Order: sequence, then C-alpha cells, then structure tokens
Amino acid sequence: MTDTDFLQADEQALAQRFIDNGFVTTPADDRAGLDRIQRRAAELAADYLKLPHSNDPYAMLDGIHTRVSVDDLNGLRLHVFNGLNAEPWFRPTYFRLARSTIETIVGNELCMQRRVNLSIQMPGDDSSLLATHSDVWSGDSPFEVVVWVPLVDVHRTKAMYLLPPSLNGDMQDRMASLRSAEELYKTIKPHATFIEIPYGHVMLFNQTLMHGNRINEEPGTRWSMNCRFKSIMSPYADKRFGEFFEPILLRPATRVGMQYKLPGGFHG
Amino acid sequence: MAERAGHRGYIGARPLNGSRSPQHVQNIVIRDYARRKNLQYLLSAVEHIMPGSYMVLEDILDELPRLNGLILYSIFMLPPEEARRREIYDRVLREGCDLHAAVEEITLSSRDGIQAVEDILLVNKFATIL
Repeated sequence: MTDTDFLQADEQALAQRFIDNGFVTTPADDRAGLDRIQRRAAELAADYLKLPHSNDPYAMLDGIHTRVSVDDLNGLRLHVFNGLNAEPWFRPTYFRLARSTIETIVGNELCMQRRVNLSIQMPGDDSSLLATHSDVWSGDSPFEVVVWVPLVDVHRTKAMYLLPPSLNGDMQDRMASLRSAEELYKTIKPHATFIEIPYGHVMLFNQTLMHGNRINEEPGTRWSMNCRFKSIMSPYADKRFGEFFEPILLRPATRVGMQYKLPGGFHG
Repeated sequence: MAERAGHRGYIGARPLNGSRSPQHVQNIVIRDYARRKNLQYLLSAVEHIMPGSYMVLEDILDELPRLNGLILYSIFMLPPEEARRREIYDRVLREGCDLHAAVEEITLSSRDGIQAVEDILLVNKFATIL
C-alpha cells in the first residue's frame, strides 16, 4: 500500500476479484454463528419430520432426500424458513458471516432484506429450479449484492451457476430475440460456471449477472440461504425500502444530517 | 399422463394501470384466491421488469403440460396485442388447463369465456379513470 491509496491492499484485491469474476468467496467471519444456523436448520427439519434432533446436522441436511418426498419439500422448506427467520439472533448472525466482505464491496451504511431466503434442492428434483435470471429483471436494484451461504458443501449441479461479467452484456443484448428463459440458458450454458463452495465459506455475488440452478445431479441435498444487502442511500427499484429492505447500520452523521433543518423565519 | 402439479402463480414488477403493488402483496392476493377457489397454488414466477418482455410467461406456458393452470395476479398483465393474447388462451385451453386472474376474480376455462375477458381489456384500453 502506498501513502496515496485510500483502500488497503487486501481491500483492493477483494474489490478487483468481485469486479472481474462477479463473485467472491471467503471463509465465514463468524464460523460459530454459521454452525449455530446450520444446527438450528437441522433441528427445525427434524421437528417437521417428527424425528429426534441429530448430533450431526451436516449429515441430517445433506441426506434429507432420504426422509422427505418432493411433494412435502415445500412444507419442510417453509417450516425451516419461518423458524430461522423467527429467531431474533438469526439476521444479525447472518450479517456477521460476511460483514467484512459486505463492508468492502458495498459500504458501511447498510440495509438488509427483511427475510433471509432458503433453498433446498434434492437430487433429481425439478420442482425447485430457478431459471436463468438476473435479480434486477424482477425488480431488484442494480446497487444490491447477494450474500449466498450454503449449509452443506456445494459443487457442480449442487451449486448455482453464474455468467462471468465479461460475457453478461453480450448475452443481455441477445435476450430480446429469445422466447423463454430456457432458451436463454441454452445460449449461456457453455459460459456459465457452477461455483464450488465448501461448508464454512460464504459467497457474495453480483446479482445483475445471469445466474440460476439446474437439477441437482449430485448425491447430496443442497441447502443454501440468500439475502440481499445494499448501501442504504443508493437507489431502490421495485424492492422498496421498508417493505423489502430495512436499515441495519445507520451512522450518527447520517442521522444528524437527516434531522437537520436550516434556520428559518427570514423575511428579507 | 403424469399427475399435474397445480396452478402456477404469475406476478410482476412492472406497474399495472399506472399503479404498483409490492410483489409479496401480489403473492398474498394469489394465495388467498387459490385458497378460496380450492386450487393448489404453486410458487409464483416473476415477470421481467423490462417493458414488453414476457419470457417468464412463456416459461409458464411451456410448463403447462405439468400444470392444472396458471393464476395471474391481474388480467392486465397479459400482453397488449390481442393476437398474442389469443395465442395464450389457445395454448392454455389446448393443454386442458385454465387461466385465472386473482384481482378481477376471472376464470377462463373454455372458449366461451374469451370474449368477456377481451371486453374487459378493450374497455380498459379506451376508458379513462378520473
């Protein structure tokens, strides 16, 4: 680092990786917090299935397809999703998993999605697929990022795919000539990368890039969570402040600025 | 024939008739409609915010052989061109499905209902709102 740089060398490197690749993966800042989330998810799943709590939450989650049918999967997902989001410690813990990366990539005055999403993808199941999309196309602001956290190891089709930034613009330019999202996937397929993430790591990615998932052809079930963060004063799109996002870090100078009124009463 | 899964919800991010409904509210309206009509609701797909894009609707139409039908948040989410709408009605009915619109409480399950839907869309195109 030179004395003319505002960012430290590690921050510059992280920011450059994000710009170049569209994502960064890092070990969770709060590993104990991640283990707590994983354990609670496994407990909630066991409760739904009327099973005793397991001493091995990883195995419980990764092997859930041996215990639940596709027809009952959304019921299980909603039970775990609601149970996690009802825990008062859950969202602060989720933020702490990636706090240093979020602050480097986004900023330190932040708002966070009000509910952390949960995806469960069992091997061979085609009922939980997300077609090729960019979140911006369904009303998210291009100023947002997604923090994506797996509760099991993910790789190949057990993971999500992302189109690299270098190709995203060209593919977007071709979109209007395509009929469906499946046609779009076929167009980007040779270039899309499935992102390998071991349990214990988190990913922050650029949700303006095309991404999605396919049928999980690996032997284990994918459990992953995702949540959007943005700089609080950056522009919003259809996912509005209050109804979708809420502030989590607002600094004193901003509070002062928002409340300040210039002296009035002049009649000159 | 494989068993069909239920009715896919269809919501959007574009304003409708000049006003906007949050996506979670659109989902609540669809879920309530499905409950009252005794339909199996399947998680909604969200249409693109880009004007004129109906790619997500096309994906649902491709999915029709595995569905009982679809539930639009509003009938005004259909494409503005009448010919394209009629293609959609044809595909839905040909696949043995039905089409619902939750806000307007419309059910289209046979060709007899098409003109009533078209009348609503045409009047809306020309009538003004104070």
